[in-house]
Amino acid sequence: MPSLVPFALRRLLRGLLTVWFAVTVTFLLLRLLPGNPALAIANPNMTAGMRAQLLRQYGLDQPLPVQYGKYMWQLLQGNLGISFTQSTPVSTVLMERLPWTLLLTGTALVLTVVIGIPLGVVAATHPRGMLDRFVQIGGVTAQSLFVPSVGIFLLFVFGLNLHWFPIGGAYDQGTYGAAWYGSVLRHLVLPCLSLVLVQLGSYVLTLRSTLIDSLGEDYCSLARANGLPNRKVVWKHALRNALLPTTTLIGLQLGFLVGGAVLTETIYAYPGVGRGIFEAVTELDFPVLQGAFVLLAATVVMANLVTDLAYGLLDPRVRTS
Amino acid sequence: MTNSMTTSLDPTTAIETLSPATDPTAAQATWGALRRNPLAVLAFVVLGLLTLVAIFAPVIAEYPAGFGPDVLQPPSSAHWFGTDNLGRDVFAEVVYGTRISMIIAALSSALAIAIGVVVAVVGAYFPRIDPAVGTVVDLSLSLPVLPLMILVAALVGPSLTTIVLVIAFFSWPEVTRVVRSQALSVVRLPYMDAARLMTTSNSWIIRKHLVPAVAPVIAVSVVLTASRAVLSAAGLAFLGLGDPNSWSWGRILYEAQQSGAMSSAWWMTLFPSLAILALVLAATLLALAYNDARNPRARKD
Repeated sequence: MPSLVPFALRRLLRGLLTVWFAVTVTFLLLRLLPGNPALAIANPNMTAGMRAQLLRQYGLDQPLPVQYGKYMWQLLQGNLGISFTQSTPVSTVLMERLPWTLLLTGTALVLTVVIGIPLGVVAATHPRGMLDRFVQIGGVTAQSLFVPSVGIFLLFVFGLNLHWFPIGGAYDQGTYGAAWYGSVLRHLVLPCLSLVLVQLGSYVLTLRSTLIDSLGEDYCSLARANGLPNRKVVWKHALRNALLPTTTLIGLQLGFLVGGAVLTETIYAYPGVGRGIFEAVTELDFPVLQGAFVLLAATVVMANLVTDLAYGLLDPRVRTS
Repeated sequence: MTNSMTTSLDPTTAIETLSPATDPTAAQATWGALRRNPLAVLAFVVLGLLTLVAIFAPVIAEYPAGFGPDVLQPPSSAHWFGTDNLGRDVFAEVVYGTRISMIIAALSSALAIAIGVVVAVVGAYFPRIDPAVGTVVDLSLSLPVLPLMILVAALVGPSLTTIVLVIAFFSWPEVTRVVRSQALSVVRLPYMDAARLMTTSNSWIIRKHLVPAVAPVIAVSVVLTASRAVLSAAGLAFLGLGDPNSWSWGRILYEAQQSGAMSSAWWMTLFPSLAILALVLAATLLALAYNDARNPRARKD
């Protein structure tokens, strides 16, 4: 059986490489694209001397490799720069927001799996049945949904008309203890549901098709021939093998989920990184935009690493790949 | 429901068979199966209608500009989709939005396909380049693309050109991923060796033998990339990064959200949302139906 340690090291290296890639791409984009961040904040009628001073202040008058070195060195120390508009370090601004985004996307991810597995199993074990038809039509439709459309629809129906859930923010002011947790939960429902609805389609469809393939394999026929109840064949044998490709899919979709969170948080004024991005866009606060991307990229890499390691622990086949 | 959507539901990884697309009988069989699939026909009709709306927008509606006296009116016979917070006709906004959305989808997917296919086939054909291509694609695909698009669009300033370039620049890795996996299995086939015996021109082999062999994957990829481009463009416009000088579906939603009209005027958000859904869903169905039609095992003929 392949050992877990080299596998874990390989994945860790890969994660670090991805973060380096993200950071370098952002650096190059910001420095090489026509819109220079220093010129963007510069007042059009400032003198050449003032502009030069501003460039010096942000270190933008130095050669590119030197800038890159300084940028990397500061990043390693957790320094993402100073926000243009709030005059506080970007890392402080974003770290206050990150937990909310993690709560939102994490809950959406767990709910997708928890709802998706039973749906996929029923659809795969009753192909061409009523529920299977529904799963297929619903799945393809859900894949084509625009996240803000879903968010606005849920907000309009369940927030504004039925008053079941709050329409914005992450918690009620002035609540403490259990009441606070309750309000956090109620504020989470609609944004989370928007993400789940969009995410669920491809998850269920992938699970369904891989499960149908697994159920046709010899080991499933053998298990049935041995007189194992069908329920056990499906849940204990076929499903376990079908979960591998679906878990890979989740890893691939994390970036998409984060993008969805940016849009959902904007609609619900949810105080996460995504809403921060929206506010930074309207104020053209480039350090925050850059920091938010780096932070979200690192989060996605971390989440991928954790899923990979957990899966490598459960399934030895993964370790060799 | 017929036999559609039964074999494979992830349209990007669905193609397993390696039947040469240049074979006229295979192409005819695919086309025949496609025409017999009601969902494919429906998708064609929807895409055709939207294309007509995009082309004939000035004939269908007057360009929504300036202010009107009827503010936030619900749908009526005068304003089919109601009016927005400045009294502009939402129907006209959606009609002109169709135009911009389809232009962005067509241009950015064409660009993304061109880059993605070239990178994929060159990588697959030259084994020394391929690991680098694979790594770059894997790394790009594991990053959250929307925040990156936002950063670039905000930096360069929103315009039609910016949006097309930004979407194309961040969409080609997905094209490369799909085309590359198919191209890698094609270059191992004996006929590629035979082609190498006939000529020393690598570009000739790539153009005449490799690209035609992966053409079906490219066809699916065109449709899916275009539909994802629609969603990306709408997402950027919804965050205020759309072209401020032209109407797009995302911009209608952005204005509904910014003005607070979203909470009362459901027509301002429902109709552009339906337009996005119609376009993306039709494209997805077409890609699925095409995959099914190409697969002789799923075909009943």
